[in-house]
Amino acid sequence: MIFIKKIFLLFRRELKLSYTNIVDLFSNILFFFLSIFIFVFALGTDEQLLRTIGLGIIWSLLLLSSTLSLRKFYEEDFNNGVLIIMHMRGMSYELIVLLKILSHFLFVQVPFLISIPLASILFNLSMYEVYNLMVTFVIGSLILSCLGSMSASMNLLNKANFSIGGIIVLLFSIPIIIFSVGINEAGSDFMSLINILIGIALIFLGISPWASATFIRLAIKNT
Amino acid sequence: MLLINNLSFFRDTKLIFENINISLVNGQITQIRGKNGSGKTTFLKVILNILISKSGEVFWEGKNISKNIFNFYNQITFISDHNTSSRKLTVIDNINFWKGLSSSKISDEDIFLLLETFNLKKYINTEIMYLSAGEIKKLELLRLILEKRKLWILDEPYNHLDNLSIEILNQTFVDHTNNNGIVLFASHYTPPIAKLDILDFN
Repeated sequence: MIFIKKIFLLFRRELKLSYTNIVDLFSNILFFFLSIFIFVFALGTDEQLLRTIGLGIIWSLLLLSSTLSLRKFYEEDFNNGVLIIMHMRGMSYELIVLLKILSHFLFVQVPFLISIPLASILFNLSMYEVYNLMVTFVIGSLILSCLGSMSASMNLLNKANFSIGGIIVLLFSIPIIIFSVGINEAGSDFMSLINILIGIALIFLGISPWASATFIRLAIKNT
Repeated sequence: MLLINNLSFFRDTKLIFENINISLVNGQITQIRGKNGSGKTTFLKVILNILISKSGEVFWEGKNISKNIFNFYNQITFISDHNTSSRKLTVIDNINFWKGLSSSKISDEDIFLLLETFNLKKYINTEIMYLSAGEIKKLELLRLILEKRKLWILDEPYNHLDNLSIEILNQTFVDHTNNNGIVLFASHYTPPIAKLDILDFN
């Protein structure tokens, strides 16, 4: 019972922290929309062209703009020693990482969903495509949270080279793009592609707590 | 009782300290004294098993801590020299978080009283980032009372504190040791406590 209370306590703290950082979320969404505008200005107003490449563009920009916020995943809690204190109060690093991933998914990625229907209007996407986009982004963003946790924990001691974290995330997110954008032409294979995406999400959800916890331990030992 | 037996620590190949033997019995206050960079903080981190030493052991109540680490953690409060409170959250949010995390039974009235003594009550709904360094440090030290553990390990507890707060802190140490608690801290400042033991790192 105490254990469950502690888990909810951590979620409440994350919710409060993400509420105070809500400007960050808005600026990410703004970045997303501005880059869409830039694409539209660069390509011209050919409706058919925008419609055919729209989905791919939206997905790539979603990826880029959600990597912007990943750097802050553990940075603050690591620098001020909260991670160590939480560990001392009986939480393993694996559990802390898992809770962080879930709270990042719930409080940062899910609010991002509201921007997708709005962005789809700009590309004149059909209802079917918007639906596909939403479903794939819900699964894909969980994968992104896991990847972000890994890359952020790898870069805890790296104070100079910020882009390397983004590179790691982008490299591993290629399969997400392939399956998410491919789902439109899938037709009757729709469910099988969804299953593949869920499979990838589960693999990363299984790996990333252990990987991130190991990286965090290494970083704590080297400070 | 905390027993440290032949503890040495190397960072890569550089020796930080070697062959330290001390025992801290119930009711003892120990200060670790030493110049900057003499390894005080590292020593505390090795005791807490954050850094792992290859030679020497630490025993808590007769058990090797590396085998019973969560048992050991359950009995200590560690105040590091960093400010562990989140800068974006308010004072009361931080206190509630620490309170829940250590499943403390302390009542809200007691918390208000503590805040009153440290002159922090007016900031209860203020974010930490607007507080001064001394006020943040006092808030950190509140965790000692909140968590009610037996062994207190502190790193530079006297930093940023004013004279009145230093007096309160010394009195808290003495009260804690009178209740069979153990205090171990690293600091340059030597407080006027009668039964202070000193571990010199120079």
